[in-house]
Amino acid sequence: MFSDVNFLLQSMAWPLVLLLAWFVGERLHEAASVPRVSSYVAVGLVASLFDLPGLTNAVPGLPFLANVALSLILFELGYRINLRWFRHNPWVLALGLVESVVTFMAVYLATGWFDLPTETRLIIAALSVSASPAGIVRVANELRSAGQVTERVMHLCAINCLVSVLALNLVVGYWHLSTSGDLVMAAFGSIHVLGTSVAVGALLGVAGPWLLRSQRIQERDVTLVFALAVVLLTTMAYGLKLSPLLAALTFGIVARERRVHLTNAQRGFGTAGDLLTVFLFVYIAALLDWTDVWGGMLLGLALIIVRTASKVACSLAAARLSGITERKGLLTGLALTPMSAFAILLLEQSRLYGFDPARQVLAVMAGMMLVQELFGPLVTQRSLMAAHETHVTKEG
Amino acid sequence: MPLETFKSSQSLTMGVELELQLVNTYDMDLSSSANDLLELLRRKPFPGVVTPEMTQSMIEIATDIQTEHGPLLAQLREIRDTLVRAGDRLNIEIAGGGTHPFQRWFEQRIFSKPRFEQLSGLYGYLAKQFTVFGQHVHIGCASPDEALFLLHSLNRYVPHFIALSASSPFFQGVDTLFDSARLNSVFAFPLSGRAPFTLSWDEFANVYFTKMESTGVVKSMKDFYWDIRPKPEYGTIELRVCDTPLTVERAAGLACYLQALCRHLLERTEAPPEEDDYLVYTYNRFQACRFGLDGMMVNPKTREQISIREDVLATLRHLGPHAEALNSQVALDEIERTAARDGNHASFLRKQYAASGSVQSVVRASVDALRSGPG
Repeated sequence: MFSDVNFLLQSMAWPLVLLLAWFVGERLHEAASVPRVSSYVAVGLVASLFDLPGLTNAVPGLPFLANVALSLILFELGYRINLRWFRHNPWVLALGLVESVVTFMAVYLATGWFDLPTETRLIIAALSVSASPAGIVRVANELRSAGQVTERVMHLCAINCLVSVLALNLVVGYWHLSTSGDLVMAAFGSIHVLGTSVAVGALLGVAGPWLLRSQRIQERDVTLVFALAVVLLTTMAYGLKLSPLLAALTFGIVARERRVHLTNAQRGFGTAGDLLTVFLFVYIAALLDWTDVWGGMLLGLALIIVRTASKVACSLAAARLSGITERKGLLTGLALTPMSAFAILLLEQSRLYGFDPARQVLAVMAGMMLVQELFGPLVTQRSLMAAHETHVTKEG
Repeated sequence: MPLETFKSSQSLTMGVELELQLVNTYDMDLSSSANDLLELLRRKPFPGVVTPEMTQSMIEIATDIQTEHGPLLAQLREIRDTLVRAGDRLNIEIAGGGTHPFQRWFEQRIFSKPRFEQLSGLYGYLAKQFTVFGQHVHIGCASPDEALFLLHSLNRYVPHFIALSASSPFFQGVDTLFDSARLNSVFAFPLSGRAPFTLSWDEFANVYFTKMESTGVVKSMKDFYWDIRPKPEYGTIELRVCDTPLTVERAAGLACYLQALCRHLLERTEAPPEEDDYLVYTYNRFQACRFGLDGMMVNPKTREQISIREDVLATLRHLGPHAEALNSQVALDEIERTAARDGNHASFLRKQYAASGSVQSVVRASVDALRSGPG
């Protein structure tokens, strides 16, 4: 009987924490226009402090759910990417690629100041390239933001994530090679993860729209079909040991090229998307260990400065060439600050597929992740506001 | 402040203004991007004039003063190409059409110019519902009395322009059953409608306008949202009932139809305008908005009912010699095709919706139509 109560309490912990996170998110957004996702992270961090039963990744299924949540956001991000834009304005693509490389190298060099093994430094550099689609897309949607900073942040974020996945898998391949010496295994591992993920995503991106057209599915149901397709994709990715995030991003990009329209009433997958977002951010925050956080704070702050400086400098340098003002270039760089959710899940995924140093890297980066998670969305929000791209809510 | 003097300009010169939609490329909703686009356009000379409008998701372009169809269309095309190229660099699409089919007005950002903010403060939700897109055509007048004569003589032709240009069947996500839903938004403004009947500028400026100004309701001609209004500082009358068509070809055609019509009216072979012409004015206008070319209008002189389509085609038969004199036969052919065969752009948009079942595809079709012209 007593153990039943204990079990009940355990199972209630999650929904209660999520409810609390939602509540705090709404209140702080209303009172001080704090981005909702920052509040979710804060509640998740506090919850992890109390070490509530069942709040860790010991509960099976939670990592999967988090991947579904982020995959939905990545699909949405992919869906916003206009490949034709890169042809009309190659500077945006060039900026994304050059900035990714510069950030990788700058962070790699900066980690040299600290006593870290080479693999760890490479992984940190690879992850620092990424920007958090969850933080950026949710904040942009929350503000109903539109304009060049918004467009560019979305496109650059997608490029950053792609480069980051690519770099991470190459490093993981290199690690497999150096530990096992098996070149075939190493090459197969990274090439399989990258190539097959993209192929599966692209296949679904072609098949989905074809199905929708041939069955003449109503416009309002399109979002639901895509949401289920993302769940399917995530399941497949787990089964085939692929990257669900890369597959979802590819799926979004290809689906958009096939010109199926999502109704804008369901941006962010509506209420279901909201629910999963609350879960995602609380979960991500709960993964961080407080003892690691304080230990890695100095490194974290140093890396944040280097990463932000690299993104801002590149964006600023390319601003005029790519058709915007320096001011908007600066704000674009700043708006790319959030990075955690994507990086943490990417790392978790690689751990799941046998990359042992992942846990250690997460511990080293905990300080950086925490600060970025909490304050990254705020920086994005303030940048979009400063760019005057947010919807003015003041009624006149 | 009294109304400024009417600046004389060369008769039958034309100028075209188009309000255009800025649309994002991923879900085809309006995009509040006017600032970014204008900033990019400022870097190079623009083949005309481009200005911000009431909301961030709209820009207005204007041609120079033109006398013939060929150069007018050439300039409109050059403006269109410049805009489309700039839009491509910024991932923004540009579209014609009198309304955006599914935008939600409460989400549009009002341009931060004091006059717009003042309008927004005064009109509340009307100012935002005014996110509609029109074509304005200026016709030069040699004297202010000529301007008032043309303004009132055109009253019976206003339904033609509404029906031919109509391109706003969808509004806030639904088929309104109107061909021009845009004008319903315009009519909500207190000073919309027709100009008061007088053929003497002296009376218009020194009696009517002075009285209106003394009521404190208006400060300048800008405060009137009339279907046709005199523009003393340009020396023109301005026809304001047209929806922005989907193509610049149609826009040039409409302007030259008006030009030829004015040339015809200035011959003064028709019975002169009178106050009683306006008895049927709002009825005719409603028919044109609601049914487009299929609407039935009442001829104010003969009191006979005739379909707007028939009346346009009958009018075109009188305009042949004028088109020849003005070198605008191509334009009048475009108008004739529209009335007799192709239909207006509202019917084009409805066909797109019927084929795809999606309002977003309707916007996609508008974007493509502006880029590639008719066809």
